[in-house]
Amino acid sequence: MKAIRQLLPLLVAMAALLTLFGLWVPNFLQPENMLDLIQQISVNAILAFGMTLVILIGGIDLSVGALLALVGTTTVYVLTRNPGEAQNALWLILAILAGLGVAATFGAFNGLCAAKTPMPPFIITLSTMLVARGAALRFNEGRPMHIPDYEGLFLAIGNGRLLGVLPIPVVLMLIVFLVMTVLLHRTRFGQHLYAIGGNREAARFTGIPIAANEIFVYMLCSILAGVAGMIHTSQLYSAEPASGVMFELNAIAAAVVGGTSFTGGRGTMYGTLIGAIIIGILDKGLNQAGVHFSSQYIIKGLVILAAVYIDVRRR
Amino acid sequence: MLTLSGVTKRFGGVLALDNVDFDLRCGEIHALLGENGAGKSTLIKILGGIHRPDAGRLVIEGRPVSIHSVADANRLGIRIIHQELSLAPNLSVAENIYLGREPGGLLGLRRGTMVRDAQSLIARLDLHDIGAVGTRVSALSVARQQLVEIARALSCRTRILVLDEPTSALSQAETESLFTTLRRLRSEDVGIIYISHRLEEILRLADRVTVLRDGRAVATRRAAQTDRAELIRWMVGRDIREHFHRPPYKPGEVALQVRGLSNPKVRDVSFELHYGQVLGLAGLVGSGRSELARVLYGIDPVHSGTIEIDGQAVVIRGPQDARRRGLVMVPEDRKREGLVMTESLAFNLALPWLQDWITACFPNRRKRREIVERAIAGFGIRAGHPEQGVETLSGGNQQKALVARWMEHRPKILILDEPTRGVDVGAREEMFAILGRLVESGMAVLLISSDLDEVIQSSHRVAVYRDGRILRIVPAEQTSIEQIMSELTGGRTDEGD
Repeated sequence: MKAIRQLLPLLVAMAALLTLFGLWVPNFLQPENMLDLIQQISVNAILAFGMTLVILIGGIDLSVGALLALVGTTTVYVLTRNPGEAQNALWLILAILAGLGVAATFGAFNGLCAAKTPMPPFIITLSTMLVARGAALRFNEGRPMHIPDYEGLFLAIGNGRLLGVLPIPVVLMLIVFLVMTVLLHRTRFGQHLYAIGGNREAARFTGIPIAANEIFVYMLCSILAGVAGMIHTSQLYSAEPASGVMFELNAIAAAVVGGTSFTGGRGTMYGTLIGAIIIGILDKGLNQAGVHFSSQYIIKGLVILAAVYIDVRRR
Repeated sequence: MLTLSGVTKRFGGVLALDNVDFDLRCGEIHALLGENGAGKSTLIKILGGIHRPDAGRLVIEGRPVSIHSVADANRLGIRIIHQELSLAPNLSVAENIYLGREPGGLLGLRRGTMVRDAQSLIARLDLHDIGAVGTRVSALSVARQQLVEIARALSCRTRILVLDEPTSALSQAETESLFTTLRRLRSEDVGIIYISHRLEEILRLADRVTVLRDGRAVATRRAAQTDRAELIRWMVGRDIREHFHRPPYKPGEVALQVRGLSNPKVRDVSFELHYGQVLGLAGLVGSGRSELARVLYGIDPVHSGTIEIDGQAVVIRGPQDARRRGLVMVPEDRKREGLVMTESLAFNLALPWLQDWITACFPNRRKRREIVERAIAGFGIRAGHPEQGVETLSGGNQQKALVARWMEHRPKILILDEPTRGVDVGAREEMFAILGRLVESGMAVLLISSDLDEVIQSSHRVAVYRDGRILRIVPAEQTSIEQIMSELTGGRTDEGD
């Protein structure tokens, strides 16, 4: 009940936006257009789920956009070392593990620095963002790395449809959403995060292991950036070392519009999902309505500000 | 020059100042004395414009005034030097003295003017100990920083100077030089209100002394016409407010044995705590009592010494470790270290026992509700609903929640740090009834409190604690508040290190 009451304003905002664009843009509410919308938000939503955990404990992770690019280049690099010149499932798994391994390593590093040093997470992840971006640009001298056409399985991650209907990125997003929802709202780990975010000292005095939880949160956030990186790379048919710029800010926006509090301790996965959908509706709606891209930025900025203002006032 | 009459201030249900009369003359050092919580800081916060009185009049030089802000206070020539210094450590002495009113114009700061002004001010006030005005404040000793505060206070027209516990961090020699400065200011007709726990200092320095007790001004005397014993009597000789019932003493085995425990804040502390016993740690605010509790609970490190629980040497690496060994702590600052204020009462009560009601990803809501209800019913927490925000509960109920949440599985040893701070009289009695029950069931309790009455009446043994040391441990019935107060406020033991 409490969750529904908290989500109500968000749902109303979402419905209002859908109605607005439904009237403004012909065929906006057609099922195929809606499915397209959900597919377009899946990368941002997956990043935002991880970001929600980090913000919930009072941190921030600016490195996810650059990490997404690095995971893409790493994965495609390994994939193209396949000597067989044909699709090889084992090699594909190896490539994906390499990508996610890089992501987990960056996450562990961010988390270790955040938990064990007094450096602020903003600065830590600003630095690792630059490191990840630089590392991504070292592959193929910074030029895009094409995915061979025979890698059908990898290309399906971003472009395939389950049973010919549901886009795979949407399926992946829903799986991540479910896992994260259970993790945050049904486990001890989730309770720990709310306690740490709400009052770090009190959590410590209660005997909650702060460092272990914090490291795990940053690792999860990075691994999700890795998953998003796979989807994004597959959608582009190539690994783009320069991709993912500003993705971290979009993810933060989705989490914050969804009610995650920057002071920590408040936020839900449902909220973030709706936040990502609201931002997705804005992007797609304004685009299809033919609004100039410069105005799109301005409108989006003001909408985010308004959403957060309303949220803060309600507390 | 300053007269307060009938000043009253109430915080929620607590009467912090009750119809207080106080006056300060020109060129006088007037000491304000009282136990922790007697109302001294509330009084100076009213003078400083931080709090506004609910009733009463303030008159300065014959004119009634009202002080709404710090700026108002400054305009009236009132300057307060708080116990925690308020300098900007990264700026120089001169910059600190003129902070907020730097000489300068459109073309920016006139640094040269500022430095010259600061130098001449220091020369005029004879505060040469400060040294060069270009020095960064963080490089100065606490004593010198204090002098910078004084210089700042006197750099503009100051008629009333208030000092709150200025000597708590000073050595003997530094204290003497501060006194010399204050005496000279007195001769320049500045009125000085001086707050301290140290009776010797007050008797030596002050012209008059006013004693506050439970928010009332109980006596004002010329310092020359009173003595230590009389001051202590006024400080502690309260009406019988309430009775704490000391639980019957049936000491069991030794639960906790501490030998030579030391770290930078705790010095060579040894004691024994038995099952079924309350050991009270009597000390003033800032004496390092909480620091001892933090070491025992594994928050701060042990540098040397040993801790034994049930006769076994233990190393406690953190609260988790402490809990595993049956030792829990209720911290002093419930808002900062105790409760997760953004969450509900139920969240906070169930938080320590997650493993009891969540298995993997299956939270058992029924079990959670049972844990929460047991705590609420067993400790008389008054809340409209368990899911009510814990922030909205009264201080007393928050405090009860903090104790109750440890009791789902009874700990062996309970450390209570200031369990009655900021709670009303009723909740305080309930707190001690709870304490009594726990002790009778065999729990070992280490009770920390600044309220000496409370410590003596509810403990079996009392450890007199000062400057990070236990001076001595005595059976509670063989001591008195007067005796302990005298030890806590007496001459320095050894300072300056």
